[in-house]
Amino acid sequence: MKHCPHCNATIKGDWEQCPLCQTTLDEATKPVLADPYPKIPLRFNKEIVWKYLTLMSFVLIIAFLLIELIWIGRMENLQLALFGIMSMWLSVLILIRKRRNIAKGIVYLIVSLSLLCIYLDYLSGWSGWSTTYAVPIICSFAIVSLYIAVRLVKLGVRDYVLYLLTAALLGLLPALFLTLDWVTNSLPSSLSVMMSAVTLVIILLYHGGEIWRELEKRMHV
Amino acid sequence: MNRKKWVRLDNASNIFLAAMTNTDTKVFRMSAELTDSVDPVLLQRALDEVYENYVLYHSVLRRGFFWYYLEESDLKPKVTADVLPPCAQVYHFDRRELLFRVFHNQNRIHLELFHALSDGTGALWFFEDLLKAYIMLRHPEAFAGLNAAAHDRLNHQLEDSFAHYFRKDKKQNFTDAAQSAIRSLAKVSQSAGKSHAQKGVAPDETKQKRKLRVHQFRGKKTPDNRPHVIELELPVKDVLALAREQQTSLTLYLAAVYMLAVRRASPNFQPGSALAVSVPVNLRQFFPSNSARNFFSTTRLIYTTDANGEADEIAAIGRTLKEQFQQQITPESLEDKLRTLIAFEYSPFTRMVFRPIKDFVLKLVNYVSNRNLTIAISNLGKVAFPEPIDGFIGKMYFHTSAVRPQFCAISHGDHLTVSFTSPFVESTIEEQFVRILTDAGVAVTVAANKVTSEDLEVEG
Repeated sequence: MKHCPHCNATIKGDWEQCPLCQTTLDEATKPVLADPYPKIPLRFNKEIVWKYLTLMSFVLIIAFLLIELIWIGRMENLQLALFGIMSMWLSVLILIRKRRNIAKGIVYLIVSLSLLCIYLDYLSGWSGWSTTYAVPIICSFAIVSLYIAVRLVKLGVRDYVLYLLTAALLGLLPALFLTLDWVTNSLPSSLSVMMSAVTLVIILLYHGGEIWRELEKRMHV
Repeated sequence: MNRKKWVRLDNASNIFLAAMTNTDTKVFRMSAELTDSVDPVLLQRALDEVYENYVLYHSVLRRGFFWYYLEESDLKPKVTADVLPPCAQVYHFDRRELLFRVFHNQNRIHLELFHALSDGTGALWFFEDLLKAYIMLRHPEAFAGLNAAAHDRLNHQLEDSFAHYFRKDKKQNFTDAAQSAIRSLAKVSQSAGKSHAQKGVAPDETKQKRKLRVHQFRGKKTPDNRPHVIELELPVKDVLALAREQQTSLTLYLAAVYMLAVRRASPNFQPGSALAVSVPVNLRQFFPSNSARNFFSTTRLIYTTDANGEADEIAAIGRTLKEQFQQQITPESLEDKLRTLIAFEYSPFTRMVFRPIKDFVLKLVNYVSNRNLTIAISNLGKVAFPEPIDGFIGKMYFHTSAVRPQFCAISHGDHLTVSFTSPFVESTIEEQFVRILTDAGVAVTVAANKVTSEDLEVEG
């Protein structure tokens, strides 16, 4: 058994340092007492999520400022950059909250944020910014944040592949905006369609079998 | 298939749903250490047997427009290994699942239960019966050797404990079993509900409310919201002797030690601020009820620390706590508490309001009451089983999810266990607590769960 000289207590389990005061424990004597608490891996780590998001936000802000200043030479679209970053934060947070039902979480997210933007656009006298910028940006970032969330929550492929597929399919929607000519600038929509197409190809190539099995199971009549 | 039976959730239990968060799941755990490792197959059989008799445990929780309600389900509980963090969420909105789980690890059997279903005392009935059933399956040889008289006595004892819960003549049906304790009590003694007009606030209570700064312990939250559990095993005799020395009860002695530990462990403690502890009281001790639903009231005990610094001693804290506790458990003040519960349950206002609004109001109530507490404790007391079952059971353990530092105590045989839970990574309060006891000559054995990625990454 292990003993903490500072707390003067017997310690169960394989601790090197006392779980109470962090003092290094005395050498174990004959019967080592088993730890009644199994090591259960972290389901997620709030600190890492926080660090990741903050870092990403800074990178995005700087990248956007650079693009605006150097490339286009004006600062008009700063709100859109902020909106994109906020949608990333919101996406990751909702994804984590809804981690037990991610399909619901994603559909909820993409649809609700997109509708919100279209509504805002409608209120401010329809200039088409929602279909030009917001919806495609939301769709693209939803895919990115899904990649991040899946890593952080440590999901198995089978548990997320259908949702990634859903997100990728929703990301193809801006193709409709392009064909119906609802956009003033075709770049964001093209980007979203491209990202979705690449994601689709990747997941179909790598996880096609999984998708088929999952669909078969869930669509079972 | 016939129609499902359902009972709406009582207002008192509603607070657990409103106050449930990712950190504080409102789940509590009871564990028993057996003499040898647990056989999962036999445990499953014992569980099936006991589950059959406890219809309340067949409940699933559903949401309506105005109420949550408990609905009888035909789900079957499954014994599992210990793979989730302690007191992990049992109830998820929109999921039909049982409100308890039974699992095992090495030689321990664990029961985890959502507090909206039952309180500690109610859950202990179920757990005791589960353990009895398991031991009888695991060690049939111990029962085979008994002579007829001993067998009769054992059966009688088993039936007696059963009768606490079931009326002898008929097995309870679901609606009776799931009915709130308040309503089933009111059915027995109609008069209790009548007199809530005369309810008054205890005078000293209002006095104390004036500008008292209640100390709150703050720390770094665990990375995935799991509770930090620190479990102490103590010889019950030694601790009882210390409590006697201070002329107080075991529970209040431990509460006093805990308060002192918090004071010592708080780096920026402001002398003169108050330490408040919440202590639940099992109302079944005072009002006859055999309901397994929530039936308890809480007392809040306050010790105002010395403004000049160092003079706080266990003896002084213990004395103050004892005085206040006795004031709060007089028949008059308990009846007052019960009247409040009854008035709350039958209040026409609560019937008319949409559930999300009720949840919101209860969240606020919970927030305010949390602000006025430093710590919480709960002592389930001494558990004993009839022989020869008792011989196969070692220490018992009890802990709960916590929004603030908390401990739960339970004793069996010569062993007292005190299990701390807290949402924080730090263990300074527990360190101080252990040091106060070991300095007084008590032998303490400590076990803890691992909560940080650093601790979890260590090989072993």
